Amino acid sequence: MADIKSNSFLFWLGDPLRATKDEATESYRFTGGSAWWVVPLVVGAVLLLASFAGGFADHKQFFFSYLVAWSFCLSITLGALFFVVVQHLTHARWSVVVRRLAEALIWAFPFLAVLGIPIILGMHDLYHWTHEELLDPTDSHYDPLIAGKVPYLNTPFFIGRLVLYFLVWTFISHRLYTLSIKQDINPDASIRGKQYKISAIGLVLFAVTTAFAAFDILMSLDPHWFSTIFGIYFFAGSFVSALALMIFSNALIQKRGGMLEGIVTTEHYHDLGKLMFGMTVFWAYIAFSQYMLIWYGGIPEETIWYRHRLEHGWEYHSAVLLVAHFIIPFIILLPRGNKRFLPLLTFMSVWMLIMHWFDLHWLAMPILDLAQNGHAGFHWLDFTTWIGLFMAYFGLFMYRLSRHSLVPKNDAHLGASLRFTNS
Amino acid sequence: MLKNLLRSAKANMSIYESNDDDEYGLLAEFSNPATLMHAAEATHKAGYKHFDTHSPFPIHGMDKAMGLSNSRVGYICLLGGITGLALATWLQWWTGSIDYPLNISGKPFFAIEPSVPVMFELTVLLSAYAAVIGMLAFNGLPRPYNPLFYSKNFARASDDAFFLFVATSDEKFDKEKTTAMMKELGSLRIEMIKDQGSVNVGNGHHDDDAVQLIEEIETVA
Repeated sequence: MADIKSNSFLFWLGDPLRATKDEATESYRFTGGSAWWVVPLVVGAVLLLASFAGGFADHKQFFFSYLVAWSFCLSITLGALFFVVVQHLTHARWSVVVRRLAEALIWAFPFLAVLGIPIILGMHDLYHWTHEELLDPTDSHYDPLIAGKVPYLNTPFFIGRLVLYFLVWTFISHRLYTLSIKQDINPDASIRGKQYKISAIGLVLFAVTTAFAAFDILMSLDPHWFSTIFGIYFFAGSFVSALALMIFSNALIQKRGGMLEGIVTTEHYHDLGKLMFGMTVFWAYIAFSQYMLIWYGGIPEETIWYRHRLEHGWEYHSAVLLVAHFIIPFIILLPRGNKRFLPLLTFMSVWMLIMHWFDLHWLAMPILDLAQNGHAGFHWLDFTTWIGLFMAYFGLFMYRLSRHSLVPKNDAHLGASLRFTNS
Repeated sequence: MLKNLLRSAKANMSIYESNDDDEYGLLAEFSNPATLMHAAEATHKAGYKHFDTHSPFPIHGMDKAMGLSNSRVGYICLLGGITGLALATWLQWWTGSIDYPLNISGKPFFAIEPSVPVMFELTVLLSAYAAVIGMLAFNGLPRPYNPLFYSKNFARASDDAFFLFVATSDEKFDKEKTTAMMKELGSLRIEMIKDQGSVNVGNGHHDDDAVQLIEEIETVA
């Protein structure tokens, strides 16, 4: 088998494989210039540097904004990983022509691991349970509830878990990414079986690690509160945003870059739209399931979490979330024609990406306000960290796409995918 | 006026009226899905509206070839869903706060939160019912009597034969011309089916008197 390992470590973060673009079929090539990835990367770096500078003035705000931005990119990557894994496990035919986008997205895990360092540095500001005085029974701040959770919520174990999650995700995505690109230059029949196998293992590992990552990264911001469905809530939003980014980037490289013309058709967009619609409903279903059980139980430790999100201006955020993350997309994405009308579908994909960020903001920020007696709203750091991190993330995504075939050209189901119609 | 409306509604459900000679329509058999699809496309292009295709399995692209528009079942389904939602909201409110108010751990008699599951379930239930009933209605089903059943050959529509049926009620229909067109499109066997709905045909199945063989091409084994 041809060696496709890249040799430079720095570039390994961007793409672990050497460029195979020259071996790609002409119509599957990325024809855009390097500006496609350099510009977002530079914009991202500038915004992130500005955010770091802003962080010196208000480091607590910076860490919270950064956590939301980082969770946003992480959740998209997790959603994309789920997409790839499920396509392999179901032997999906329709999705082959769009699968490479998701495959390029999942190699963001090492990059996000490096960008996760500020989270570790800001743990004291972010996670209340890291405060030593809460654990000392003689201290006036002693909190028996948090002290009782020390076996799980302690700094070394927390960092260890994060490292473990990223090792698992990087392992699965490395396997899926390299196998698929290896197949491009060497149509080895055994690759399909290997993809299937790693997907089967990957799905189980994905489910456990994603749920616990959501508990650790976002739910433990409020260490008194717990909800077992929280991991699924996070997953639902992740998958919606991954599909949204796939629709958006596909439309972008097709309409602005003139690539994949006639390869990714209305039929594929329609299916991605259907999945995005379905997962938006799923998100609402999970969000409501969590809310209803807590409402019905009426136990103060649980209801307090919603209480924080229904006062000090957060009630408007909650209302916007209900209307704009569920009701409006539900009505717009329901008719068949709307999902087949690309400008509207692309608009809705951007809409869902923004709403997903809004959702994560709604999860994390009331905690910061509570600590600072603040009020709902947005800080400029929320936007610079978000756009900055996402731009850098998007730039590297485009970088990977630009180096390889845009379509897994030797996939056994490629023909079926090209011919696919919703009848 | 009303009669015409009814006639066109029935034609939309593939239930056609026979002409004065009790002739229901031409049944043309084709050898494979591709020729049937081609024939359907040509029939549609020729301006025929009252025609239908019958095959043992769904053929992808057939609705497009026949010039059928997108199914309208979705609208019926939406109506069912809205009805279910309204019904469930009313049910929750009326039973909970009017008919039999019960204080359950101080919860309000009517609140949206615990009602949502009921609203959701009834929305889904009624839209599912509406979808199935709407689908049956638009297809003109159930239809225990169909003149096509008179043809012995037509039983093969659920086995190995592909049929195109053109009703005499179509404005464009002309026995000679339509037959010639079917022949040209490569039909193996063309039959004129007579509607003998008033005649007692026992179990309602094959009746050779109702079927007039017009054309048969010897197939090469």
